[in-house]
Amino acid sequence: MSILLDRSTRVLIQGITGKEGTFWTRHMLDLGTRVVAGVTPGKEGESCQGVPVYHTVRRAAEHEAEASLLFVPPRYTKDAVFEALDAGIRTIVTVADGIPLHDALQIRKAALSCGAHIIGGNTSGVISPGKAMMGFFPYWIERVYKTGRLGVMTRSGSLTNEITALAVRAGFGVSTLVGVGGDPVPGCRFSEMLPLYQDDPETEGVLIIGELGGTMEEEAAEALASGVFRKPLLAFVCGVYAPEGKRMGHAGAIVTGGRGTVNGKIRALEKAGALVATRPGMLPGLLNQALGEEKTT
Amino acid sequence: MRLFEYEAKEVFRRYGIPVPESALIYAPEEAEGAAGKLGYPCVLKAQVLSGGRGKAGLVKVVSNPENTAPVAAGIFDSPAATVDALLVEQAVEPEGEMYLSITVDPLSARALVMASASGGVEIETLAAENPEKILRESFDISSGLLEYQARNIAYSLHLQGGAAKEMVKILMSLYGIFRDLDAELVEINPLFSLPEGTFVAGDAKLILDDNAAGRREGFPLRREYFESEIEYRAAKEGIPYLQFDGDISLMCAGAGLTTTVFDLVHYEGGTVANYLEFGGPNYTRATEAMELCLANPSKVILAVTFGTIARADVMARGLVEALDRLKPDRPIVTCIRGTNEEEAVKILSAAGLQPFFDTEEAVRKAVALAKGGEQ
Repeated sequence: MSILLDRSTRVLIQGITGKEGTFWTRHMLDLGTRVVAGVTPGKEGESCQGVPVYHTVRRAAEHEAEASLLFVPPRYTKDAVFEALDAGIRTIVTVADGIPLHDALQIRKAALSCGAHIIGGNTSGVISPGKAMMGFFPYWIERVYKTGRLGVMTRSGSLTNEITALAVRAGFGVSTLVGVGGDPVPGCRFSEMLPLYQDDPETEGVLIIGELGGTMEEEAAEALASGVFRKPLLAFVCGVYAPEGKRMGHAGAIVTGGRGTVNGKIRALEKAGALVATRPGMLPGLLNQALGEEKTT
Repeated sequence: MRLFEYEAKEVFRRYGIPVPESALIYAPEEAEGAAGKLGYPCVLKAQVLSGGRGKAGLVKVVSNPENTAPVAAGIFDSPAATVDALLVEQAVEPEGEMYLSITVDPLSARALVMASASGGVEIETLAAENPEKILRESFDISSGLLEYQARNIAYSLHLQGGAAKEMVKILMSLYGIFRDLDAELVEINPLFSLPEGTFVAGDAKLILDDNAAGRREGFPLRREYFESEIEYRAAKEGIPYLQFDGDISLMCAGAGLTTTVFDLVHYEGGTVANYLEFGGPNYTRATEAMELCLANPSKVILAVTFGTIARADVMARGLVEALDRLKPDRPIVTCIRGTNEEEAVKILSAAGLQPFFDTEEAVRKAVALAKGGEQ
């Protein structure tokens, strides 16, 4: 098993005929993703990488997509998300980098009121290595992505490759990796993924790749402390040396009432019983400590 | 993007929020004329984007023509900041100082109005010391701030009669600014309350969402928003850049990875000259990125990447081209991984560079080179 996405998930791609859409659809199919239909207004009747294309999500309804991946520019993302929700799709991944903040609020609000999982924006997406992906990951580089039993949640792209490569080197593959993304108001938060990982028998523990700003790491710590999540939790948190007042990293913290500093995150996570690395080199040791018997590669 | 006080106050004026009469000046010699027209006493306020202007001596009251020019000159020449302009404002004698703001609460996905009868101090300080003095009223951005919510705030602030109505008007205007301009934050601190039941914005803070720049009129990037020419150039190029004063220029990819490298340089005892990301849409622009790094007096350039779409071979080739064109006077440490990384190793090796594969090793090498350069 995995969370959100596996071999059987029926995936729709909005914006499939664009340059990125076409290129990554090929990779998604090659990995085994069940891409059932694509949407590009004005291009119904065409096919892209063998996938039938429709004008609208509604017109692609006969394919009964369960999840939609959006290759749509930031300013059209809100529209595309609502189109998918309106068609009944409840797992949506949006990779766009640069979604206006006020749009992001409306997207997040819609996710909450429909009970949908909206992953992103500003993310590489979701991958269950060896099974399927929605987004773009270099899954073909074996030293970076391997099938395994570690759940990974991240706010970053390049840093994620860096960290998963270290995990693979230490002998740990990934069950499902969820990029919640680097935006200040992401569509879903770390703490909302933890119950899914808790229920997934293939996930033995979860690694958070976090950074300064926001409160998602603290919320994950609360989920661990309160028993919502009961498997080993590990975290890598960057930004210990980021000076105050500079916007380093992703869009960073807006007013959070004094929360959001890296040291506060580390304290909250450790107090809840998580193992925290502040340099990448610490991770192999911590992974062995937490999940030593679960090596999968 | 944060606007200057005078720009934010122009917006306030347009939306009907009262602000003091004022004039903007660019040299000490203009101060006396401006103050004379407005009438004494006046406040001279440096137009800079850093906080804590009062403590830094960048805001001063003048009460007569004699000391106006010297006080203005003192602010223009302050070592605390680069001051290009002063706002000369009529001084206000307030009855009280309040706080108002609208921002975003990421957790609840709602917008948040905060208000306090104890304005004049930073909201973070107030939140830490007297959290009970902050009123909060959140709203769904789709329905917007409703007038009853503004009334809730006005009457919770113990305002009555005309003052309460005036407060509702100001809150609804703030909300208009927040939505129309796609603001991350709009804040009045202090909002002066006057004996006759009216208000005047003492200060104005407006931070606009850069991601919404395309659907907003006005507010282009200007040199004045940036401390240095390099930061301005980077912003125009769309390359994320922060200026520091250490030894190592970071030329990395990805916000998280660049921040991690920043940490690692410090763990290893090194210092950072600049933070720069040339990943994402900028991964083909190594030359522009390296030019920005070379504009610093740094000792080493450290390039660390691990890209998927930002292919390693493309970035390596870009780096080698940049070396050929710019002929840097300082060593480059490279750790370029990701899609087509084998090809990247070949390209870097052929150019005489040592391709690192482990980030921490690359950082140690850069720190050693930077320290060696001092001997």
